[in-house]
Amino acid sequence: MRDFFDRLSANAHWFVFLVLEITCGYLLFQFNRYQGSVWFTQANALTGTVLNWEAKVMEYVHLADNNKKLTHENLVLQYNMNVMRDELTRLKKDSSYTEKVLADLLKDVHLIPAQIINNSIRDKDNYMTINRGELDGVKPEMGVVSGTGVVGIVFQTSNHYSLIMPILHSKSSISCRLRNTDFFGYLKWRGGNPLQAYIDDIPRHAKFHVGDIVETSGYSNVFPAGIFVGKVAQIHNSDDGLSYQLEVQLSTDLSRLRDVCVVVQENQMELDSLEMQSY
Amino acid sequence: MLQMLVLIAFQVLMLNHIHFLGYATPLVYVAFLLYFPLNANRIGTLLWSFVIGIILDAFSNTPGLTAASMVFTGFVQPNLLHAMAPKDAVEDMVPTYRSMGKWNHVRYIMLIALIQEVCYFLLECFSFYNYRDLLLTFVGSYALTIVIVLTLESFRGRKT
Repeated sequence: MRDFFDRLSANAHWFVFLVLEITCGYLLFQFNRYQGSVWFTQANALTGTVLNWEAKVMEYVHLADNNKKLTHENLVLQYNMNVMRDELTRLKKDSSYTEKVLADLLKDVHLIPAQIINNSIRDKDNYMTINRGELDGVKPEMGVVSGTGVVGIVFQTSNHYSLIMPILHSKSSISCRLRNTDFFGYLKWRGGNPLQAYIDDIPRHAKFHVGDIVETSGYSNVFPAGIFVGKVAQIHNSDDGLSYQLEVQLSTDLSRLRDVCVVVQENQMELDSLEMQSY
Repeated sequence: MLQMLVLIAFQVLMLNHIHFLGYATPLVYVAFLLYFPLNANRIGTLLWSFVIGIILDAFSNTPGLTAASMVFTGFVQPNLLHAMAPKDAVEDMVPTYRSMGKWNHVRYIMLIALIQEVCYFLLECFSFYNYRDLLLTFVGSYALTIVIVLTLESFRGRKT
């Protein structure tokens, strides 16, 4: 018996090794399914705080660059405003109608401004961390947008930080349509170029051109309909030849993004529970 | 302990942002395993490897990945050190290029880093999802890691 225990203690490191490796394996394979594992990611308070400091320093470093970009954006916006004002005066008699449509579109939506404090675009599955969490009203499955278009979907949240699954993630899938037509499909990213994604299953009889605008469809009730996604860059045949596959040039450069907004749709919960009942 | 914090900060704040030519990211935290003396407690080594791995995983959103590779490396490290230490080494020898001999030490570092990175990249791309990319990433990261670790080690040897 003594001999047995001696041998056991001499080889104790084997047991510790196996236990630790099994723990690691468990974490590794459960991460994508197990929502509670947020503790081990960038969204926990300690890592969030450290990354927040880093983001603040980097923000200062990039100040000049960002200023330039803001000025440019201002110019574009001002130009757009002029164009729209002209358009509006032209459509004066219909103006009450236009206002009503816009108000309807944004009636149930409000935005939570947030800053990205950590970001990756090189991996197969990229994630972003933002400095707003549950206490600010962010919940999983909410949409995230920037001034230039769609960014991604909230994946996990903690009290003060949230983890975003951006378009640049192998599991990301955002319901999109071609503007002015009702043909829709799901936007997928296949790694590599962070400005290029694909939409499958656009039917053969759809009429569209290279350069057409791709926007959110509003079917997934994560994003309201009509948010800019990008432009059609190329039209391919799908693998089985039965439909078109669109190559989309994304409008948002995720590698140089800092300020984003989380989209809160007032009736999202209601819609979700309604859809759950129907299954 | 201090060395560990400095290493983690170095890795998380600087090296994780390096993607040399889009492929190579140095994984310098493996240097942590080089600080264990010849007679270190094996279980202690394993637990420390696990802790540093989990902390790094938390920063890079890869729960379990770094930890798994570090625990395995921490498991073979004592055997490797016993095999490579000079015959007349004192019992609590800390491996530096003075105590082990220059080339022997370099070989020791290269082996430890090799084991860790092979584990890491095999686990990361579990399905060999893209052979060419995987190989390029591995070779690039390995080379960068070795360069940085050797630089750090040369400072450490000088001080003691």
